[in-house]
Amino acid sequence: MAKRITVYGMLSLAVLIVLFPLVWMLLTAVKSNGQIVNPAAPLWPVHPEWGNFADAWRQGPFARWFWNTAVFAVAATSGQLLSGLLAGYAFAMFDFPGKRLLFWLALSGLMVPFSAVIVPVAQLLGDLHWLNSYQGLIIPNIASGLGTFLFRQFFLGSPPQLGEAARIDGASELMIFIRVYAPLARPAVAALGIILFLQNWNNFLFPLIAVNTTRMEVVSQGLSVFQSQFTSQYNLIMAAASITIIPVLAVAVAAQRHIVEGITLGALD
Amino acid sequence: MRARSGARAQWALAYLFVAPTVLLTAVFSLVPLGMLAYRSLYHGGIFATSLRYVGLRNYRDMLAGGGGHALGVTASYTVGFVLLTMAAGLVLGLLLNSRTRGVSKLRAPFVIPLVVPAVGTALIWGNLFAPRFGLVNRLLNAMGLPDIDFLSQPGPALVTVVLFGTWQFFGQNVIFYLAALKALPQDVLAAASVDGAGPWQRFAHIQWPMLRRNTILISVITTLTGLQTFTQIYVLTNGGPQGSTQTALFYVFNEGFVQFDTGRADAMGVLIFLISLVITIAQVALLGRRHG
Repeated sequence: MAKRITVYGMLSLAVLIVLFPLVWMLLTAVKSNGQIVNPAAPLWPVHPEWGNFADAWRQGPFARWFWNTAVFAVAATSGQLLSGLLAGYAFAMFDFPGKRLLFWLALSGLMVPFSAVIVPVAQLLGDLHWLNSYQGLIIPNIASGLGTFLFRQFFLGSPPQLGEAARIDGASELMIFIRVYAPLARPAVAALGIILFLQNWNNFLFPLIAVNTTRMEVVSQGLSVFQSQFTSQYNLIMAAASITIIPVLAVAVAAQRHIVEGITLGALD
Repeated sequence: MRARSGARAQWALAYLFVAPTVLLTAVFSLVPLGMLAYRSLYHGGIFATSLRYVGLRNYRDMLAGGGGHALGVTASYTVGFVLLTMAAGLVLGLLLNSRTRGVSKLRAPFVIPLVVPAVGTALIWGNLFAPRFGLVNRLLNAMGLPDIDFLSQPGPALVTVVLFGTWQFFGQNVIFYLAALKALPQDVLAAASVDGAGPWQRFAHIQWPMLRRNTILISVITTLTGLQTFTQIYVLTNGGPQGSTQTALFYVFNEGFVQFDTGRADAMGVLIFLISLVITIAQVALLGRRHG
């Protein structure tokens, strides 16, 4: 019994530390600015200002920022999943000249952290005239060494008899991939897909170097701009932060099982 | 028998399948890496067309002009970040793994900070650690302690950034350690319990030694995560005060996109690549040994 109380007590404390900043964000978002900056004021919002959310929404082009983020995250994630699925399948199931070299090339991206090459990538985007464009946001993010590696592992572990049976029935290699093997990968696609989607949605550094116009910026950049324009309007800043955090929180709660699975996959183990 | 002999038509399909990944990796990872190494030896602005060869001068200027300091900050940040996230991950992993009823449901909240956007959470931390009216200072005052201006003093700013990074990322290590603990052979632990070993003895003599490989792997992944921390610092301190939270990555961003001294930025980029490469090779070697 005492052990049970200790375990629950420590875990509850940790959960509190995790969740408290988000609760504080919501409480601060509905306070008056006067209450926030008064160190003697109660911690609880005295006269909740529910209109702060609508105010914050009106003060910045959030609809545009959300649209840009959705286009970027959906397109980049679909591209990563599809290209990873195709490459992983080919490396697992086919034999072809140069396979070894091509496999190392496909994984070499894992060895080059984006953080090391932000300057040359921006220069490259400039040379391609892709700065401030959707293709500039999306295309450089499509190749996925992690996806290729994981899907290769997955198909290496799938039963070869399925393909052989279909081959005897006269199915083409393309049909075998589409009808037989790709559907098997659905659970892996879900787990990896949700993680990649959230990573793309939250990606800040890449959009920061690739786009800098209000028309093209993503939500995270928008929030950073919003903050610099309303530096001491703490309630509006917290309301704007809530606008960017709550949708992601909803997705995270709904898909938490897939997320845990996806994070475990990310350990490449 | 995965190889299907004599199927040349298959080659075409295979090349078609690997082409997007291979070509895009070449263009957007390997070409930039080549540009980085090449341009780190040249003088010129970010979109400059006339480059002048200067040898290793960019490296010397970078190390003397704030880069060396940034590497030191990166080391401090990463060590603090790795130790805290791993300790929290291990302790919470053990608690979540304990055979207490209903405890596994408490796993879900630890994932939340990992997946919510960092610009938003950085603004919350800025508010919590604000001078005078921030909640942390109000708590300090309530305990009779003086205010700390966390984000305007070098030492406290670095500590705040480490704590914030830890809060955002430690859930990953909770998940990793929990998965590793669940994968341990349960019969050994059960046998130890029968022999009268308490939780601490089971941990010290069985679980911890068996987790050694996982611990090395997790420390490698966490170190790479720590080295790539950017958004948290960009929003919370913008590298300040007095460069005290300017990490190597932040230095690259600042020199490349704010000061437009791409030579120094590229020299630091090469160092970040080499540091990450050494760590990644260590990871591959460890994984190879496990599977081999």
